[in-house]
Amino acid sequence: MTDLSVTEAAAGATVVRRHPRVRRRRGLNGRSIAVLVFLTMCALFFCVPLYVVLTTSLKTMEEIRQGQIFALPETWTLEAWSFAWNEACSGITCEGLKVGFWNSVRILVPSLILSISLAMVTGYALALWEVKWAGTFLFLLFLCAFVPLQIIMFPLIAITRTMGVYGTIMGVAVVHSVMAMPVLTLIFRNFYKDIPREIMNAAIMDSGSFWKIFAHIILPMSGNILIVVLILQITNVWNDYLVGVTFGGFNTQPMTVNLANMVTVSTGTATYNVDMAAALLTAIPPLVIYFLVGKFFVAGITAGAIKG
Amino acid sequence: MTIRWTRIAPQIALTPALAVTAVAFIGSILWTIYLSFTRSRRVPDYAIDWTEWTRQYDRLFQDAGWSTALWNLITLGLGSALAIVFGFVLAAMIDREKRGEAFFRTVFLYPLAVSLIVTGVAWRWILNPTMGLEATLHRWGWTGVDFNWLAQGDTAMYAIILASIWQSSGFYMALMIAGLKSINTEIWSAARLDGVSLWRLYIEIIIPMMKFTFLTCAILLSLGVIKAYDIVLAMTNGGPGQSTWVPAYFVINALSQKQNLGYASAAAVMMLGITLLVFLPLVLLTAWQNRRRAAA
Repeated sequence: MTDLSVTEAAAGATVVRRHPRVRRRRGLNGRSIAVLVFLTMCALFFCVPLYVVLTTSLKTMEEIRQGQIFALPETWTLEAWSFAWNEACSGITCEGLKVGFWNSVRILVPSLILSISLAMVTGYALALWEVKWAGTFLFLLFLCAFVPLQIIMFPLIAITRTMGVYGTIMGVAVVHSVMAMPVLTLIFRNFYKDIPREIMNAAIMDSGSFWKIFAHIILPMSGNILIVVLILQITNVWNDYLVGVTFGGFNTQPMTVNLANMVTVSTGTATYNVDMAAALLTAIPPLVIYFLVGKFFVAGITAGAIKG
Repeated sequence: MTIRWTRIAPQIALTPALAVTAVAFIGSILWTIYLSFTRSRRVPDYAIDWTEWTRQYDRLFQDAGWSTALWNLITLGLGSALAIVFGFVLAAMIDREKRGEAFFRTVFLYPLAVSLIVTGVAWRWILNPTMGLEATLHRWGWTGVDFNWLAQGDTAMYAIILASIWQSSGFYMALMIAGLKSINTEIWSAARLDGVSLWRLYIEIIIPMMKFTFLTCAILLSLGVIKAYDIVLAMTNGGPGQSTWVPAYFVINALSQKQNLGYASAAAVMMLGITLLVFLPLVLLTAWQNRRRAAA
């Protein structure tokens, strides 16, 4: 927690430095203090679950049974963490969360490559080339972006089964790519449509073909939007449960499914410290990304929400 | 030759996306709609009995589980709407105060980066009656408080709402801050010169100016609520009994537990109907916004 607040304070300092006007103008009056106190209390409310989960994961079960959820651990131990990672039972296998972690990674990589390359090329073609029915197609994508998975679930199961990828890592990755395609395409299209017409005309005059222009002009310009989409998609895929549990087979399920099984289907007495350690382990990858490149994360979710 | 090729290449590049849209979205939706009129159980059965082709829907509307799911959807929607209010309050304060803006934004938004399964697991632990928040509060002497929400059917939904608000307030705050930043700064100074109180400024000027942002938030919230599945699964798994079923949960349950494909399809089609109901204003809104942008 202290590390996080330090980075945040540093981030705050840079923001303040960038707007010296704002900083200079206002003194600390009564209203400011009241607002800051209120905001700090809200911040505490938002931090409480993280604090509770973290401290619980570092306690022993005897200590947890005393029922002091806000107390710091008397004896700090990482036992629950190593147990959750290596040995905890999820369903009938007892190999810990590391199985799910690596499954999630193996799902993530192909789904990122598939969905982003597909969305990029489609967005580029729709934004910068004259394509018949482009408006209709965009509208359809807009509609598709909001279709809940439940409505197309069975057909997708049937299709992936015919393709022979149902229950495999690849199957989960393909379904993720399909579900993400509309939103990502719209994001890329909105980014590319602001490229000046003159650049495109000059490129076409220069006998640039569709793919040449894409490789030499468009791709080098796409750095920022790629990072935004990458982060959006990494967090989406990593945090997904429904696609993983439906399309993943035995031993190919992602970390969230592994976690849910571990927590709900626990035989014997519940071990809350292990549960909390497992929850944190699942949350760490997206949280690290968020605290490192939060700006891009926010850009991604707002773009995905509004333009999607 | 080259000119013709540059005409064809973009069309070819669009083929995969078109195919995905046609098969995975449009085709699959039609497929599900068709299945909802059949008697399919574990495996699809494509014969439609025309004398009672609406039987799945008839059964659905008489199913107590489905009406619970619909009521819970409304409860969850209204309850989670507090996240928009909360998000606006936070955004207004952060935007006025400016001090610590980056810090507060980061803290309020981090829950969004976490999986809903993790959120559910964390909140279920906090609400644990014997070792969680309630035990601590009782130890502190507040023996009257009852946080055993998850064990009781009539309060379990509140626990889910609490977790949803915790998870999504930061998101609405981010949208609201963007909306507040787009408001002309002259309004603030003009209001100050006129001696308008801060309350009146917000209620009579700022909020009406931001009606578009509020509407966007409301629609996004509704679409999110319709999809809500993970948080229900992680917190209550639909229980106790059927008390926290929502339509998204109902469909999955019919598909994987009851193994009743036709029934699940009918419920899914109803979900699609609800989505479209919420979606229509969004389409109109976007069209309106585009026209306004074009006019500006």
